[in-house]
Amino acid sequence: MTSLNVNRISNVARNVTGTIAGVVPTVTISNPKANKVISWIGKNISSPENRLILGVTALMSQPFIDLNNKKVDEDTRKISAARTVAKIIAGTLTGVIVRKGCIKAIDAFSMLPSQITESTKFKGLRTLFTPDSALAGVLQDLTHHKNALGTIISLCVMVVTNFVIDAPLTKFLTNKFVDKIKKKDAIKAEQAKLQQTTQQIVAQQKPQEVKEVARG
Amino acid sequence: MANFLKPFVNWVAKNYGDNVGKMLIHTGVIGWVLSSAAQVVAIIINDKIPKEQKMYMIPQEIADAGVNILSFYAITQTCKGLGSKLVNSGRWLSGDVRKFLLDNNVQNVGKKGFDVLTQGNLTPEIAEKFMEFRNGMDVIATTTGSILSCNIVTPIIRNEIAANRQKKALNEMHKVEVAPPSSYSSAPFIKRPTIDNFRSNAYDRQIIYPSSSSLKI
Repeated sequence: MTSLNVNRISNVARNVTGTIAGVVPTVTISNPKANKVISWIGKNISSPENRLILGVTALMSQPFIDLNNKKVDEDTRKISAARTVAKIIAGTLTGVIVRKGCIKAIDAFSMLPSQITESTKFKGLRTLFTPDSALAGVLQDLTHHKNALGTIISLCVMVVTNFVIDAPLTKFLTNKFVDKIKKKDAIKAEQAKLQQTTQQIVAQQKPQEVKEVARG
Repeated sequence: MANFLKPFVNWVAKNYGDNVGKMLIHTGVIGWVLSSAAQVVAIIINDKIPKEQKMYMIPQEIADAGVNILSFYAITQTCKGLGSKLVNSGRWLSGDVRKFLLDNNVQNVGKKGFDVLTQGNLTPEIAEKFMEFRNGMDVIATTTGSILSCNIVTPIIRNEIAANRQKKALNEMHKVEVAPPSSYSSAPFIKRPTIDNFRSNAYDRQIIYPSSSSLKI
């Protein structure tokens, strides 16, 4: 994707938001509980939670979109949906754990000087990821900084985990789901065959019964 | 080590220290690229997926990455921008901030170009409340945009793209399999030899090597 495309998309996005913002009615959220929830979201929802929300909503929508894709044959549709589910589970699991772990690790080494006590271990390393603005006392709340830095570090970690954990786990889960689908299909095919054979036998027996009744 | 990291740490604090939504969008884009690269590898190394389905899934994954980035910039950025614009201009506000602005008779609240933080003359306490509200709305808008783009728009578009590619790829593969040889000389091993071939071959051999064969016609 070129920078030209990015600029064009940004301009389009800006124009769209400008137009919509002019039409949207004025809203005042007066309910204290609603305001508390909004503040809580702003403070506590970061990339791991965002990834989890995306994963859960993805499970509720993507497999159904794949299963309803009439442009491909039924087998491809089923395998594609199975792989989508496997991909979402593997991606969400690794994504959330790695992001959360990295943010925790950054948190341990982004302390303010006032937080370091006599009993703190590795004192020299505790301000390793603390920005200068916080050390100077300008930035007081480091929550967002820690989340941002942790998420960026987690992306570097994910370069490895995507190949070491994500991809093999997706493969493993896909194969499990595909095997299940194949087994189900085989059972269905067998049942259909059995039903067909039964119908044929019944159809063959009926004329014989009629003949016997006629003879009798 | 610390000196080497400090410029980067300061850059992160400056750019994302108070803007969760921006961080979520930027890291989201990079995350999707990395995850898609891994997924393509997962398909390539999976022996259980037949070749024909791989031909559908690999472009599906590449399309997924491309569409994800584009939709992230188009939809998520639009949602985030819209949320920020509505809150910053004062069109959407919490009750406390709205009451403060009304009590202080601040003009043009909610109008285009108005900025609550710079033009609202907020007290530190109200400014903090406004920032909390703004960050919350930012995250809600970004998450809504991500859900819309990644879980609804992207799967529909990528399936469309991948299905078309599979169709094209299968057609080409089919063409290669059934295509007749353009000339006898270009595909000599495909055409089955006829009795005439044997006859002319034997005739040639008799002319060139008259005494080398015991075959007599």
